[in-house]
Amino acid sequence: MTVVRKPSAAALTDDELLAARVARPRRIGQWLAAAVAAVLLAMLVHTVLTNPRFQWDVVGDYFTSTAILRGLVLTLWLTAAVMAGGYLLGTGLAAMRLSRNVVLRSVSFGYVWLVRSIPPLVLLLFWYELASLYPRLSLGVPFGPEFVTVRTAHLFTGIVAALVALTLDVAAFSAEIIRGGLLAVPAGQTEAAQALGLGRWRIFRRVVLPQAMPAIVPASGNMLISMLKATSIVSVIAVQDLLYSAQLIYNQNFQVIPLLLVATLWYVLLTTVLSIGQYYVERHYGRGTRRSFGRIWLGGRR
Amino acid sequence: MTAPLVHVRGLVKSFGSHRVLEGVDLDVAAGEVVVVLGPSGSGKSTLLRCLNHLERPDAGFVQVGGELIGYRYAGGRLHELRPAAITRQRARIGMVFQQFNLFPHRTVLANLIEAPVAVRGLRRDEAAGVARELLDRVGLAGREDAYPGRLSGGQQQRVAIARALAMNPRLMLFDEPTSALDPELVGEVLSVMRDLASSGMTMIVVTHEIGFAREVADTVVFLDQGRVVESGPPADVLSRPRHERARAFLAAVL
Repeated sequence: MTVVRKPSAAALTDDELLAARVARPRRIGQWLAAAVAAVLLAMLVHTVLTNPRFQWDVVGDYFTSTAILRGLVLTLWLTAAVMAGGYLLGTGLAAMRLSRNVVLRSVSFGYVWLVRSIPPLVLLLFWYELASLYPRLSLGVPFGPEFVTVRTAHLFTGIVAALVALTLDVAAFSAEIIRGGLLAVPAGQTEAAQALGLGRWRIFRRVVLPQAMPAIVPASGNMLISMLKATSIVSVIAVQDLLYSAQLIYNQNFQVIPLLLVATLWYVLLTTVLSIGQYYVERHYGRGTRRSFGRIWLGGRR
Repeated sequence: MTAPLVHVRGLVKSFGSHRVLEGVDLDVAAGEVVVVLGPSGSGKSTLLRCLNHLERPDAGFVQVGGELIGYRYAGGRLHELRPAAITRQRARIGMVFQQFNLFPHRTVLANLIEAPVAVRGLRRDEAAGVARELLDRVGLAGREDAYPGRLSGGQQQRVAIARALAMNPRLMLFDEPTSALDPELVGEVLSVMRDLASSGMTMIVVTHEIGFAREVADTVVFLDQGRVVESGPPADVLSRPRHERARAFLAAVL
């Protein structure tokens, strides 16, 4: 094919071409997108600052009030407790699902199927209302004598119902996350470890699990963050978490938007901290792999 | 004649309805190097994997050093051993895989000392000393802090050989150790295996490297459709194969 438009190009010498540098791409689309984004951001900041109905002074007053901080603490420990309990159960369920025992496999499958099918709010209400289904609970021999009996309503207070329901929910989802991670480790790793004479527990702990972590951590970070916010559903059964504490205040002073902003800002703050933590955990488990960890902020190169 | 180190009789293994091994007999004396040849799908790898019970044979048996592998005889039946007992038996049988299977999240040194510390009960510094000697022996002195992903395929396979040797095995199994390597890296791995053979190690090697078989093997075994169809010194099996399938295979690979 001949170059019609610029016949002089044929006259270029090798030296000229060797001396030439590769020009930087102009990236017009990127500058255009930046301009649009800047305008939209400016509009957002402007309205947030100038619309008096945001009432930032009220937000400031309540941001660190005792009631809000107490709710924040409850949200934090509830999240921590259901994640810890849920992942413990979930690890067991994942191990059952991967075992050779067909009964254990079926039980695990059935549990995950059932719990994943129920909305967490419905699960929460079921446990809270368990007393209407079983007024008394007892410990004893099946179909035989009973040793201890309690009134269900006394046992399943709001906070206990919240703990149980959310733990069961986390267990079902974390079981699938962990199972996926374990399956992502090539079978050859286990075989090599077996051929070396390593025991089953040691193979799991030292060979398989560390290699499953890069697949487990991102999904679990996601799960943790979504559970931090999902704990707010306990407000429907009057457990005083971050959101319900804000609601209690605005039910008295009718400052709905500022108090929702207080809760929102705390959720944003906590999520930010967790996201940064997740970045470092992922980097730790990326050792020995070629996967690169780009910078999070502007200027990270693709 | 002394009893063979490896004694296999009537080994049968099926995957579903497909019978991969159809009754394999094999004897390997201590210090002997046996190369197993055969077309793909002939059961070579499965045979090797039955020797350390990575696969559970359906019938027949494997003895190593007089000890029944994977099973216990009681009342006319073979009962599978508990996992801990199988684990103990595997500790003295080294195995090298086609895909190396080094632990990618651990350094070369950590790969080498994991099992000696956990299984043989060596102290970490003892195990590290042994590991450095072995790395030197496979030509990788000074690479103990590298992660496997930083090494070439040939280097990784030599680390894998050193890792197996760190358990002081009495038998080494090689499952197509050079098949995943670029051609220019095959030589360095075969050279390590040649040194190992001349040091008196008992080796069973599944490979397509006819040159290695001719030069290093004491015995060449030709497997076809789950049966040993030819077995003997390399000069006989490789130069004057009697079985038609062996002739066709050798004509194709030589």
